[in-house]
Amino acid sequence: MVLVPLAAALLVMLARNSLGLARVIAVAGSVATLVLAVLLPDSRGFDAQWLPGIGVSFSLGGNGAAAVLTFAAALMMIPAVLVATTRVEKGAGGFAALLLVALAGLNGIFMAKDLVLFYIFWEATLIPGLLLLGIYGGERRREATVKYLVYAVTGSFFMLVSILALKALSGAPSFHIVDLMLVTPNLPVATQTWLFVGMALGMAVKLPLWPLHSWLVDLNEQNHHSGAADVLGSLYKVGSFGFFAWALPLLPAGAIRVAPILLALAVVTAIYGALGAVGSKHLKRFLAYGSLSHMGIIGVGVFGMHLSGLNGAMYFLAAQMISTGGLFLVFGMLYHRRRSYDMADYGGLARSAPALAAFSLFLIFTFIGVPGLSNFPGEFTSLLGSFQATPWPAAIATLTVIVAGVYGVNLYQKLYQGPTDVRVPDLDVLEMYVLLPVVVGVLWFGLLPAPHMERIETQAQVATLQLERVTLPPGGPTLSDVGGAR
Amino acid sequence: MTFPGVIDINWTLLAPAIALLVTAAVTLFFALFSRDSRGAAAVALIGILTSMVFALVQLMEGNQTASSFGLRYLGDVPALTLTLVILLGTAVAVLVSWDQLGRGQMAQPEYYPLMLLSAFGAVIMASAGDLITLILGLEIMSLPVYALSAWRTGDRQSEEAGIKYFLLGAFGSATLIYGAALVYGASGSFVYGDVAAALAGGNLPLLATAGGALVLAGLGFKAALAPFHQWAPDVYTGAPTVVVTYMTVVIKIGAFAALLRLATVVFPVLQPWLLTALAIMVALTLVVGNFSALMQRGVKRMLAYSSVAHAGYVGLALLAPDHGGVSAAAFYLTTYAFMNAGAFAVLTLVADANDHGDDLERFAGLGRKRPWLAAVMTLFMLSLGGIPFLGGFSGKVLVFQAAIDAGYIWLAVLGIATSIVALVYYFRVIGYMYFRESAYEPPAFRSSPTQIAIVVALAGTVLLGVFPGWWHTLLMSGPRLIAGF
Repeated sequence: MVLVPLAAALLVMLARNSLGLARVIAVAGSVATLVLAVLLPDSRGFDAQWLPGIGVSFSLGGNGAAAVLTFAAALMMIPAVLVATTRVEKGAGGFAALLLVALAGLNGIFMAKDLVLFYIFWEATLIPGLLLLGIYGGERRREATVKYLVYAVTGSFFMLVSILALKALSGAPSFHIVDLMLVTPNLPVATQTWLFVGMALGMAVKLPLWPLHSWLVDLNEQNHHSGAADVLGSLYKVGSFGFFAWALPLLPAGAIRVAPILLALAVVTAIYGALGAVGSKHLKRFLAYGSLSHMGIIGVGVFGMHLSGLNGAMYFLAAQMISTGGLFLVFGMLYHRRRSYDMADYGGLARSAPALAAFSLFLIFTFIGVPGLSNFPGEFTSLLGSFQATPWPAAIATLTVIVAGVYGVNLYQKLYQGPTDVRVPDLDVLEMYVLLPVVVGVLWFGLLPAPHMERIETQAQVATLQLERVTLPPGGPTLSDVGGAR
Repeated sequence: MTFPGVIDINWTLLAPAIALLVTAAVTLFFALFSRDSRGAAAVALIGILTSMVFALVQLMEGNQTASSFGLRYLGDVPALTLTLVILLGTAVAVLVSWDQLGRGQMAQPEYYPLMLLSAFGAVIMASAGDLITLILGLEIMSLPVYALSAWRTGDRQSEEAGIKYFLLGAFGSATLIYGAALVYGASGSFVYGDVAAALAGGNLPLLATAGGALVLAGLGFKAALAPFHQWAPDVYTGAPTVVVTYMTVVIKIGAFAALLRLATVVFPVLQPWLLTALAIMVALTLVVGNFSALMQRGVKRMLAYSSVAHAGYVGLALLAPDHGGVSAAAFYLTTYAFMNAGAFAVLTLVADANDHGDDLERFAGLGRKRPWLAAVMTLFMLSLGGIPFLGGFSGKVLVFQAAIDAGYIWLAVLGIATSIVALVYYFRVIGYMYFRESAYEPPAFRSSPTQIAIVVALAGTVLLGVFPGWWHTLLMSGPRLIAGF
């Protein structure tokens, strides 16, 4: 899973002078990764010593949420590399190679079973994103790159302190999740709280939570206008996964102390993002704010710390990779036609480009959470689950769904309807191929949520059981009961 | 354990050091007849490789209890591994100098014997088991480098570097010698183990404390730990870049190898506040090194301050000898040798022949003009900044883990906070290479020996990043020759 995209990236780099060949290799690499992602739930994990001296192992496993998230990521990589190798003017091979490197890193984040290894992938994945922005970005790319770097690195270095201290203080024999989970919840509450805060700093930046979100908007605005790099951006909002898979199960007592604050911030994020989207005139900023609002809802689902909320949040995370990424690609196509991201430059496109309009409407509906499409099951379960544990914050966050309806319909009208009549060419063959996997993904995640939800649930149970260990008196269910009759 | 009347000399153990000494003599002799500096470089390289083979064979044999002169010259795992790293660093420096000396009009063949002699001193320091051996090693290591710093004759900056280094270095040596004398006065012995044993009973004489403090200060000079670091940036900026490549790697390793043993065996039985003093020095070094590096416009000066900062990270591990700090420090020094030497090697290809023109603007657009060189430099910068899958990251994890295990969480937090600062200035170089364009065409200087050096450094950086386990396991293996080490 990690090696295939890496190998493809290397080959693409070597073949970068012959763009056709590079394109074939990049797409083949992504498809191969996708196939592996489908096979992942049934595969055996990988386990090797890495730094035995301090108990770090190279452990990967594909069960739980990893299977779903890697699937969505690999699926979106296919259109992304297609666009990258056709619409990027200079250094397209390098662009595609960086995308593939980032995919390898993402797979590592989702599959790591060792906390240090998780951090390693977390940090390593930053680099391709930075380079994509810095080399291929827009005019103000330098500022955006520095902002992204400072936010991400500051957060994650505090996370590193927490990670290293976690083993030292708890006396766990290694950084493997199984070893850690047995002992870390027994740490004193104050210690857990501090460690949790350290981890939360790193993860909140990449969730991203208000007020640590501002790198995201600039990143999306300044990224390459084809939208391919933004696809990666929407894949790389992995903070909620970090909370879900690591911070909550490892430090349940700390989580319970800090979660109310994070929950409040998540609600603010959801509303702030939605309002920001309403006020945006720039297409990419609009999308950045819209997806920030989604991230807030995911945050609400995670910090409600209720089983179905956690479940829905992770499902929503996977689904939004497809819908947000897809919309970024559509906006890239619009830019390709009109060289502008300003909404005012568009209008009435539906008359000259009906197919483009249809696909856009489909994706906008997905984006605002219309039932039957990919975002709905996750968004709904996320809010519903959180509502059962913490009704008020969830209720407030639900308001954003209404706002989403407003900005979604508004957007479609501005672009495709109205009196102004901008004539553009309709979708070409390439763009059809680009959007095809997106549509398949949206329908798959929208109509068949159950198998994926079940996979996520096995891992969500781990988190809730760890949380119950702290809140319930001893003698309650233990880890070995996971998968029992719940 | 000493055998009165009998000097036990273990020639096998001395072989790596003697190989260097012999090669230095041969090269010097060779220089009498041929003024070709490349020939001297080739001979030097052969000598270094021979010495490496000797060290490797001993390491593989697993005969790591060997010592010579009654525990005054040690052949344990830390000594042998650090010897290897010193030799590697010297080899890289020789390769980088190969063409660069001629380009900078510095091609006197005596350059290489001096470098070999200095490396010989560093190897002795890494193996020293008593204070006298340590002082001998230190002097042998330092004296040739005073001359090398001023190698660019007629250049005021280089001459200033030489004089400055000589004066401050002599001051550092004097401090160390004075400290050693006081420790001897208090304990009646120079051998580390005996010093520790003699003073372990509590009731410390003031003499011992003062001696320990002076020894710490003296070695702090050589290792460039704040507040004894002031010479470093000036000397590193003034001296020829090829010499700096050598200095920042080998001299630093030599000094830390000695500190490592003292911090493990001797300091703990002296005064607890000696360790506190070391902790404060480390904290200062981290802050001063990183923030000063942040202010620099010249890449060479930035790397000079950053090498001060890296001394701070190694220092973190020095504080935790009982918690895997020894192997962590040795590991860090290994990766540091690779990535730092690599960065300087790239710098020699980008800067002018007289080492000027090393400012950031020089790197603008390098990503387009020389993509491979820029890619390699990117990896070195990322590794120095501590980004995963490169050696610098593995080293940082080990060092921080050791410090946290030993209870220095505040220092680890400081170390990590300053790492953020560090990443900004390392990334600035990458930013210039890729995100900016410049009309300026860099000198099209190419040199295959330098390229070999870069490849070696890169291989080490990447290998230690992707597969750190084997080297770290090796560093942790082997019996301990002195109690507690």
